[in-house]
Amino acid sequence: MMGERIQIETQGYHGQANPSVPPLFSRMFTRMTTGIGLLLVLVFFGLPIIKLIVLSFVSHTGISLENYAILFREGRTWTTIGNTLFLSISSTLLAIVLGVLTAWLVAYANIRGKKLMHAMILISFVIPSYVMTLSWTQFLAADGLMARMLSFLTGEVVKPWNLYSYDGMIFMLGIHHYPLVYLLSLSGFRRIPRELEWASRISGVGRWKTFFLVTLPLSVPGIVSGGLMAFLASLDNFGIPAFLGIPAHISVLSTSIYEQMTGFGPESIARAAALSGVLGVFSLVATWIQWLWLRRFKPIESVREDYEPRFYFSNFKLAVEIVVWIVLLILSFIPLLTMGFQSFLRAYGVPIRFENLTLANYEFILFENTKVQHAILNSFVLAGASVMICLVIGTGIAYLRVRKPNLVIRGVEMIVGLPYAIPGVVFALAMILAWMEPIPGWNPGIYGSMTILLLAYIGRFLILQVRGSMTAMMQVDQYVEEAAHISGASRFYKWKKVLIPLMLPGILNGVLLVFLTALTELTVSSILWSSGTETIGVVIFNFEQAGSTKYSTALSNLIVFVMVISAICYFSFNVRKRKEHKR
Amino acid sequence: MNILLKDINKRFGDQPVLQSIDLSVQSGEFIAILGPSGCGKTTLLRLLAGFENPSDGEIYFGNERVASSLTWAPAEKRNVGMVFQSFALWPHMTVREHVEFPLRYGKKRTDTSRIESVLKAVGLSALAKRFPSELSGGQKQRVSFARAIAASPDILLMDEPLSNLDAELRLEMRREIQQLHRYTKATIIYVTHDQGEALAMSDRMVIMRDGKVEQVGTPREIYNQPKTEFVAKFVGKANLIPGEWNQEKFIPRYAEEGVFWTDSETSDVFRKKGLFPLRPEQLFLHRIGPGIKGEIVNSQYQGKEIHYTVQVHEERWEVHSNIFQDYHIGEEVFIKHKSHTLSL
Repeated sequence: MMGERIQIETQGYHGQANPSVPPLFSRMFTRMTTGIGLLLVLVFFGLPIIKLIVLSFVSHTGISLENYAILFREGRTWTTIGNTLFLSISSTLLAIVLGVLTAWLVAYANIRGKKLMHAMILISFVIPSYVMTLSWTQFLAADGLMARMLSFLTGEVVKPWNLYSYDGMIFMLGIHHYPLVYLLSLSGFRRIPRELEWASRISGVGRWKTFFLVTLPLSVPGIVSGGLMAFLASLDNFGIPAFLGIPAHISVLSTSIYEQMTGFGPESIARAAALSGVLGVFSLVATWIQWLWLRRFKPIESVREDYEPRFYFSNFKLAVEIVVWIVLLILSFIPLLTMGFQSFLRAYGVPIRFENLTLANYEFILFENTKVQHAILNSFVLAGASVMICLVIGTGIAYLRVRKPNLVIRGVEMIVGLPYAIPGVVFALAMILAWMEPIPGWNPGIYGSMTILLLAYIGRFLILQVRGSMTAMMQVDQYVEEAAHISGASRFYKWKKVLIPLMLPGILNGVLLVFLTALTELTVSSILWSSGTETIGVVIFNFEQAGSTKYSTALSNLIVFVMVISAICYFSFNVRKRKEHKR
Repeated sequence: MNILLKDINKRFGDQPVLQSIDLSVQSGEFIAILGPSGCGKTTLLRLLAGFENPSDGEIYFGNERVASSLTWAPAEKRNVGMVFQSFALWPHMTVREHVEFPLRYGKKRTDTSRIESVLKAVGLSALAKRFPSELSGGQKQRVSFARAIAASPDILLMDEPLSNLDAELRLEMRREIQQLHRYTKATIIYVTHDQGEALAMSDRMVIMRDGKVEQVGTPREIYNQPKTEFVAKFVGKANLIPGEWNQEKFIPRYAEEGVFWTDSETSDVFRKKGLFPLRPEQLFLHRIGPGIKGEIVNSQYQGKEIHYTVQVHEERWEVHSNIFQDYHIGEEVFIKHKSHTLSL
């Protein structure tokens, strides 16, 4: 007892000792660290983008609009822009319809198994788009599962849907991005107090009209934000147009920037920069429109989420549940399952019989092909390094942003978010321009090595960790920290016993997100890789382009496997945490 | 409009929430439903609104049966207005649009020219263009009133409408609700857990506990002649003093020989149990007997009076006395019955 008191007193003494540092010096020190931090952030995050913008205006005649002028004179450019907008808008509409419908069912209806439904919906987004695409092309192939099922049912040879087409791409983009709309609409729906709907009913307005007059207007902010995210993600997406669009000669901005970069023509970089400018402008305009729109909406004052059902299917409940589950299984699960089977087959398209089963595909990618082994190693190293660096820097930024917010740190947050907000191909291009010759005439050899990939990954995914850690810290009230102080806990115990346990789940969410996104990254890597620095995504893409579907399938399955393992770890960790809390 | 509840039962799963409620309400009456939280009063209101249907029993509005265990008219088909505890204002609509809503979109569409007079009646004409986020608590509640009465409903339901306001405003809003009642002439069902509100405004009170009706009566009846121990304690905060009844004579158990109090109004329920319900203000304290001897264990100075807690054997009773009677904790006092001070 006595000892504790003495300890507290000595702490108080130390606390008072601090001001004895000359105030002028400490203020200079703070300013210097702030300055250096800001400079680093600008160099690593802001500069590449600025350089890209500048370069898009530089041509052999000097600074002009010539690159854009040349671009817009070509009919092909207009087709590409038209394709991009058409695909993005249509797929966003599909994502909104699917997302709002599923969100409404999960938030409002009295159906069972909502937690599983939720997980099932998220699968579509968590699995990388190129893996999803691969699984769907096999599911719908001429001799795939769907074709067999349909011929069995109809007795004729049926050719299922050709995904290598506009509608196929719209479908894939839509089902990959609808979870974004779902997530934002879901919390929007749950935040609407049920009394607001009751007030409408009691005013003599029926169920349907109430939905359109009250529920929908109040959930619009969530739906629009989700829709915008789906739109931006469609502009940004590279996997789906690369896997479906390139074979079908349907080009969009992201793939044509890629083709420019791999084409290595004399003008290619300038053209790619100009195309990137166009794509960047689309993203910014979309964000701006959303901002204008959302400004008009009044926020709901309550923040409490209501998890109780509000709409009761009485007679149709089972029917609704069956339909929902069939749709969800087809959207998220069965194609992956077919891909799983496919990977054990001796050759693409042979019937599923025992003598056709083999492990040869896995043997090849895991033990025989050194390129794949390198790629797997590269991806794990890159993902691991990104996670560690993002964890330290991102959590630091998050701590300052939450506890000591000022203009500088807000600016830092915005700049750090920029590389994630702009399309991946655009950022990749910016990275090349920034690091090929950081100072004219000096090439440090960063471009062409693993370093540029690491820099790009950190640049692009740091914001994910910042957001994750920020959410975690905002959940820990300032009072909790103060209560630890007032109870006499030392700084060490304050962090060990109070802050870290409370923040850990949120921070881990960020870590997991950064890890999985980096591990399966394709867009940025497809432009920045060079011989020896392939990543998993790049190898799958190369296999697919070379027609080696067996191997791309097997490797995609490995990704799914890693994701399943991560998901299991994540959930069992959460369940254990929850049990601890209950105790 | 008359309301008739016939043997209403409501169960959520196996759990009974309302048990055989019978109630008949006259047209234009102001009924307060009073009870502690969890007594089923809000569920009863939801049954009347049409957000829930009864497990058994029937509800009539006038001659029309609006709900039974088999069929029920949904909320939008009943001509009912409702004021919610949380105000339930729509953040995307102005004050004016709130009042307009039932008139424009409701089943019973009325002349929209009513809007101005309704806004005027609740004193919101000047704020018609504001959004809910730009209003104070009292103003929000007025919007909620205006919306509820816009379509001139025959029945007005109120679910603890004042509990989200601060104490000062609550007293002011009581007067406004009374005015509203006179203005609309609607039948009002008012749910509350504050007995002050119920006593002050209602024509009749319904006291509920554990899903059952304990007592129905005018505020005076409920306050002065409680029929059950619960009503005596919940509404009047009465002390249940044990003793023996002999006709109109009550002999308190813990008093000395010869002490007796008289009363003719106490219900038979208490007489049979040998209890005399007396509210804190019906008792007073004195240093000298005769009376019930006890010891002061707590005192709370209230400004205009002092609330004492007195320990008598195993029981603790509450006595309110004027501020000139100053007792300290631990002091021995005698409890006496006020209306009989002269006879003893």
